[in-house]
Amino acid sequence: MANVTFPFPFPANMEILLPEIIIAVMAMVILLFDLFVSKEKKQISAWLAIATCIAAAITTVNVTGSESMMTFYGFFVQDYFAAFTKLLMLAATVFGIILSLDYMKEETNIGEYYALMLFALLGMMLMVSATNFITMYLGVELMALSVYVLVGYQRDVLRSSEAALKYFILGSLSSGMLLYGISFLYGTTGNFDFNLIGEALANSGDSARTATLVGMLFVLAGMAFKVSVAPFHMWTPDAYEGAPTPVTAFMSVGPKVAGFAILMRILVDAMPALEHDYVTVLLWMAVLSLAVGNIAAIAQRNIKRMMAYSTIGHVGFVLLGLIAASPEGYAAILIYMTIYLFMTMGTFAIIILMRRDGIQGELLDDFAGMSKVRPGYALAMGLMMFSLAGIPFLGGFWAKFAVIAAVIDAGHLYLGLAAIMFSAIGAFYYIRVVKYIYFDEERVAFNFSDNVLMKATVALTSIIIVVIGVYPDPVMDVCRMALAGLV
Amino acid sequence: MLETVFFYLFGGLAVLAGMGVVLAHNTMHSVMFLIFCFFNAAGLFFLLDAEFIGIILILIYVGAVMVLFMFVIMMLDVNRAKLREGFLQYLPMGGIIAVILLVELIASASSGVFVSDEMVQAVHLGQEVNNTVEIGKELYTKYLLGFEVAAIILLVALVGAIVLTLRERKDAKYQNISAQVNTRKEDRLRKVKM
Repeated sequence: MANVTFPFPFPANMEILLPEIIIAVMAMVILLFDLFVSKEKKQISAWLAIATCIAAAITTVNVTGSESMMTFYGFFVQDYFAAFTKLLMLAATVFGIILSLDYMKEETNIGEYYALMLFALLGMMLMVSATNFITMYLGVELMALSVYVLVGYQRDVLRSSEAALKYFILGSLSSGMLLYGISFLYGTTGNFDFNLIGEALANSGDSARTATLVGMLFVLAGMAFKVSVAPFHMWTPDAYEGAPTPVTAFMSVGPKVAGFAILMRILVDAMPALEHDYVTVLLWMAVLSLAVGNIAAIAQRNIKRMMAYSTIGHVGFVLLGLIAASPEGYAAILIYMTIYLFMTMGTFAIIILMRRDGIQGELLDDFAGMSKVRPGYALAMGLMMFSLAGIPFLGGFWAKFAVIAAVIDAGHLYLGLAAIMFSAIGAFYYIRVVKYIYFDEERVAFNFSDNVLMKATVALTSIIIVVIGVYPDPVMDVCRMALAGLV
Repeated sequence: MLETVFFYLFGGLAVLAGMGVVLAHNTMHSVMFLIFCFFNAAGLFFLLDAEFIGIILILIYVGAVMVLFMFVIMMLDVNRAKLREGFLQYLPMGGIIAVILLVELIASASSGVFVSDEMVQAVHLGQEVNNTVEIGKELYTKYLLGFEVAAIILLVALVGAIVLTLRERKDAKYQNISAQVNTRKEDRLRKVKM
């Protein structure tokens, strides 16, 4: 390794990095562009960012072949799995930008906001394409650093700054844990590459076992922080409540998809030899997440806090797919993430629409009697809530069905039953929102700002969860195909 | 032999300094202990023939980062009595986690992986190997992707710091440069009959 010959070969297959290059360059272009336009035209940055995401999505589809390709000397991989998760994250970013259009209009420095969103997206895309801990960690940091700033973007709002600071401090701690775990794995295997670590662990004797397990624990704990798995979920409610609502929507989908995708890669490639051990750890994390997410949410009066606990609960369901440790489980995770993306974006779009003349519209009471004023939005919100609760024949049902079926197939019958029980408990607080909307008297005057794109988002996401709910097979097939690069 | 003595000297002092960081009452003393810890860590790097990293540690961390740290601490009004509030409340939980971690680390250190012969034997590089050149070659060839991404992370840190701190204040007074330049004598000067 120390003898590098020159000229060093130019990295082959550089074109598979094209989506990332487009995003990196355009994020910097937006940073500069923002300096030269007048205040009225700042919104163009948002449109540029959306165009960038669409261009990146098209190139992602075009550069992905049925064979998995590597570039930069095996540091970056592009396969169906990476492509599929990247498309999910691109969709999440586009939705995030659309939700921001009205919400962030009055903020200054709006150009940097969209640039930071693209940088966060870039970090997530690098994460899911990582083949070793170096690329993965750099991706994690790029994503996390951008999201910290986005959370604290409304500097004049006290709770926004507070949320950003809490998120930053706990996030740094989790990065430290992640790095510490990686250093243990490097110490026992002498490698950063997932596949080589997997080989080394399969061949290593018992002497390295304890140190490897400690490394695995720290890596799992570090990643659990990033995807807000209990007992590492403490930052989630505060960060979700304090962040600008579009950022909350963005961070409840994008980083979760990226985090679970890279966890799948680590567990499948690097830790097959430790399957029994990590399943034990994840099992308790899943049960805790399901309990915390579904029970603590009942006490929340603020809908953003409620959605934060809802995320923790959903993350618990996603963990079931990892515990199954089978192709069905991993496919179920992708299905879950796809459906969760639309449910969450639709819900947050409606929450953002509730904001009006000085009222945040985030309390459950604010939703009272919405059905009489805006039956369309009320119906959409009702669908979202039923879907999040997992009522049959809406998207969310199939998501939960897939993970629970996978985990029961893998032999964890009691875990599956526990998940069903917690799902039933969770249904209470989702359906309570529907009760407020349909059966309570109107308490405040509704004054929706009618943005066509927001309407379209609400309509699109509602239609998608209904369609997936009635006819889930195409989505499930695509998700199973997307596993090609992973297993 | 001599190498082992120095290893234990640097290592032991680094551990003691690390304890000092946590236990010192005065925040400034903590910073000093941290600097001392960095010096010892640099010593360990020197023992491994990694003189470039050792020097970088001293130059960057001691020379730049810790100086900034000191400025920050001097500007903050740290109220230690207030920091200690709730210490007893958090002690049991924190203590349990600390003990579990300690047990885990001791178990992994004594499990045999870090004492097997190949692991402890640091291979010394020859005189002709140039640390800086070798690191440069690796960094700009094999690890180029990571290097580039690190550059983007720095950019994001820069943008983020500016976005979070720089805000135009509506009540602040700014110079209107074009108005200053375009001003004419008639605007400012008034003849007064005496």
